[in-house]
This record gives sequence, structure tokens and C-alpha cells, in this order.
Amino acid sequence: MAWAGDEPRGPTVLRMILGSQLRRFREAAGVPPEQAGYEIRASRSKISRMEHGRVGFKSRDVADLLTLYGVQDDQVRATMLALAEQAGTPGWWSMYDDILPDWFEVYLGLEGAASVIRTFELQFVYGLFQTEEYARAVTVLGNETASAEEVDRRVSVRLTRQSLLTSPEPPQVWSVMDEAVLRRPVGGLTVMRAQLAHLLDVAGLPQVTLQVVPFAQGGHAAAGGSFSVLRFAEPEVPDIVYIEQLTSALYLDSRAEVDRYLEVMDTLSAQALSPARSASFLAEIAKEI
Amino acid sequence: MTDDGAAVPGGVNDDDTAGTGIDTTVPHSARIWNYWLGGKDNFAVDRAAGDAWEATFPGMREIARASRTFLTRSIQYLAQDAGIRQFLDVGTGLPTADNTHQVAQRVAPEARIVYVDNDPLVLAHARALLTSTPEGATAYIHADLRDPDKIVSEAADTLDFSQPVGLILSGVLGHVVNIDEARSIVRDLMDALPSGSYLSLNDGTSVIGREELEQATQDYNDSGAMPYVQRTPEEIASFFDGLVLVEPGVVSCPRWRPGPAPGDPPAELDAFGGVGRKP
Repeated sequence: MAWAGDEPRGPTVLRMILGSQLRRFREAAGVPPEQAGYEIRASRSKISRMEHGRVGFKSRDVADLLTLYGVQDDQVRATMLALAEQAGTPGWWSMYDDILPDWFEVYLGLEGAASVIRTFELQFVYGLFQTEEYARAVTVLGNETASAEEVDRRVSVRLTRQSLLTSPEPPQVWSVMDEAVLRRPVGGLTVMRAQLAHLLDVAGLPQVTLQVVPFAQGGHAAAGGSFSVLRFAEPEVPDIVYIEQLTSALYLDSRAEVDRYLEVMDTLSAQALSPARSASFLAEIAKEI
Repeated sequence: MTDDGAAVPGGVNDDDTAGTGIDTTVPHSARIWNYWLGGKDNFAVDRAAGDAWEATFPGMREIARASRTFLTRSIQYLAQDAGIRQFLDVGTGLPTADNTHQVAQRVAPEARIVYVDNDPLVLAHARALLTSTPEGATAYIHADLRDPDKIVSEAADTLDFSQPVGLILSGVLGHVVNIDEARSIVRDLMDALPSGSYLSLNDGTSVIGREELEQATQDYNDSGAMPYVQRTPEEIASFFDGLVLVEPGVVSCPRWRPGPAPGDPPAELDAFGGVGRKP
């Protein structure tokens, strides 16, 4: 079965995969969402949230729904129930619950399960590429009143995220950044020089692609600001656009909205310097500052 | 890499960017192909065009997959049985599973592959995602199929033209509507390659689907997309003039070396291809 992978996937995407399978079974059986909701003593909108992977699953609910949908194959039922159980297992970040907002924990789950991460950055170096000192400077900027201990823990979340890049099956990370990201000396010149050197190292990783949109390009396609597009290996899981805001985040997965952002991302990637030119461009800036 | 000249901050070399021509208002053949193959790099206009095609001719996804698996088997053959270590893939398309360099480098990690496409979207994706093994090399050339001189001169940065090369033309010659022009493109490219080089070519036909498939193609060509023409198997075979065809010759893609399988040969589909060696 296409969705039964062996690697740990993080709960969020497991929920999405499980949800989309349940929707497919429900539609194949011609059961309206109201009736499905009634079966498990829940509302129509609960069924919709389940099918979009936005809420957790109780094994008993999954079993009841499968029965309602006429799914009798023991192997399929066992796989679905195992997925439901795995989807209830918390991710590594649960120990940081107290400092991380829910919307960011969702992101960490998605990031850990993505097969391709595309990102456009206007101001800061992309989180997975930050040095510890740069991450600390960004964290302090965003949390001026935080205690030293909290800053440490926030930085440690960021560094733990980075282990994704060196995991046995890392995602492909395709990152486009504005020249401003390279010019703005966050944390001071010393921190920035080390950060640029680190970016050059990261760009050399086989699964990382780094492209720069130089100022000389003039205006560019991303009128809105920084955003990411997460892609998952499972054909039935749609791309997700992630846009971080000051106090919350936007997750877009409707095809029309994803299309719009994908188009901008593709245009930016085509407008930016090629990966090879971007590396020499970066090296030049590293010499200048 | 063919594109690693030094860029100077503050200056942009026009050749360096893939260009900005991403148009989501007309259907785009590489993106429709991506849709039929189950990819996610396609837009509403492409899905509508792909669906319209399938509404007229329902077997299209099967043809897309058969053409793709023919490509995979032919590269596997070239790398494994014919010992080819250099590939020139013209009309790359959007990255999917089992791209040319992945198939070749699975057999021979040191294999060197040059991808050629004239589309800025394809070029941006190829540069980012079609990355080589450390032992081998991949490079990307922004050039039109109709400009064999440019293709050959830029590919020479990565490929050694004194050694055999496998030329790949997968589902791309149908975009050259005039068959004499299409033949001359194949001839020019093969002329640049030494004896012992190979051609792997497949393209669409309409000998099985006939009216339905012709109608789907006509509607597609009327949509403003880059036109595509189906050829006869004989016309596809004529691209191999002067080459020695590898068994079983030019056949429907599923029948080209399908591997050991019991029972009848796979059913024929409207994609024909073959592999030929330059004597």
C-alpha cells in the first residue's frame, strides 16, 4: 500500500494520509459526511476535520468508519488502525510544548515528513541553514523579554530541526533567497561572516539547492513575502504552503491557493541565479563584508 | 556544470537565469505530462487540458507511463548491456521518478549526463533536483531542439565526444511538426557522436487509438499549447536510418524488451520506440 512507509513520519502527515484514505473509502461507499459523523457520535464538520488530518483519531472511530464504509479486508483494516496509532505518537518537539505555539508544532510535523521543502526568504537565513549564533540573534530579536534559559531552549529547537539535513533519508531542500538575506548582518559582522561560510557549506550538500535573487534583478515575483512549500512523497497528500506571521501561521492546501504560490515559487526559481552562480555570488559577498 | 562562471554582486549575466517565462494561462506539455504521470508540478490549465484529452481518449495515462518505462528500460540497457557511460537527454521534461541520470548512475555511478531543454520551468527544476552522484556528473543546457550546434558545443563541456554517447529523444520529436526537419535534427545530433554511440527514441502514434486520439491531439493543438504531431511507426523507424537497430527494432513501447513475463506479449499502445547503434 502506497501510504505504508517504514520510516518514522511524524504525526501530522500520518493523520493527513489516514484522513485522505478515509475520505476515499467514504466516497467510494457513497456515505455522506453526516451519516459518517452519526456513526461515531460526531458532527459532519468533525468528519471533515478528520479527513483533512487536522484532528487526532481514536482507533475505535477508525474501526467503526471502516465497517460503515464496507472495508472488510483484514490487511487494509490493520494498516489503517496501525496508522491511527502511530499518528497519536507525539513528535520530538512535544518536550518544548511550553514555548512553542501549536501552529508551529504542526509545522515541525510537516517539515519532518516532507520529501521536498521549497522556501523563499526575504530577510532571514532559512531556519535549517542557520548557525547557532545566528539563530540566537534571530531568537532574541523575536523574544526580547525571554529569559536566557528560554532563548537557549528555542535555539535548541532550531538546531534539533537541522538534524533533518543529515538524517539517513533527508528531504530535498530547494531554497531561494533575496540578496538582502545575505547583506543584513544579523548578530553583527562576525556572526554574519560565519553564517555566510556555513551557507556555502550547506549549499554543497547533495540534497540542498540554494539560489540567490540579486538586487540587480529589480523587482521579483514574491510580492507577498517569505513562504515555504512542503511536498510529500505520497501522491494523495497535497502540497502545503506555509506562511509564518507574527502570532500565527497560514497553512494553505487548497489546490487553487497552492497553484498560485507554486507559480510564484517557480517564477522566483527561474529568475534567480543558477545554483552554481549563486554559490560564487555568495562567496563574493562573504569576501566583501 | 556548464553554468558556473563567476557572477559579480551587482551584475547579472542574462544567460544565467532560466528566464521568467512561466505562463500558467496556456497548457504546457511538460506540466501535462507531469499530471498524467501523477506528479504535482502542474497548474489548473494543465489539469484541464489533460482531463480534456482523457475525456476524448481515455488511454492517455497508460501511454504516458509506457513511454516513461520504455525510457527507463532503454537507459538501463544502454548502461548495462551496451556499456554507455555518457548520455545526452534532449527534451528532458520535469523531473519525475527514475530520471535518466538516476537510472544510468544506478548501473554506473560514474555516468555523465547532459540534460537539454528550452523551457525555463524545466531548466529551473532540473538544475535544482537532478543532482549527480559524486562520481559522475550532471549538467543542464538551455537550448532548443532545433539548435543541434548549440547543444553539441555546450554538451562538450561535460561529455567526451571521442567516446560513445547515448542520445535520448523521448516524446519530443512530435513537437517538430515537419518530418524532414525532425529527421535532420536527429541526423545532425547523431553526426556529432562517434561510432558506437546509440539513439533511444520514442514518440506518439495514432495507429491504435486512431480517430479518438487524433481528435484529442487536434483539440490540444487548438488550445494554444506547443503543437504535437503523431507519426506512424514507419515514420518513427525512419529516424533510425543509418543506424543498426537493437532487437526487437521499433515496436510499441510496452513490447520493447519487457523482460521475462509469462503469457502473451503486452498489448500494443500508441507510443512506439526503439534503440539504434551508430556503426
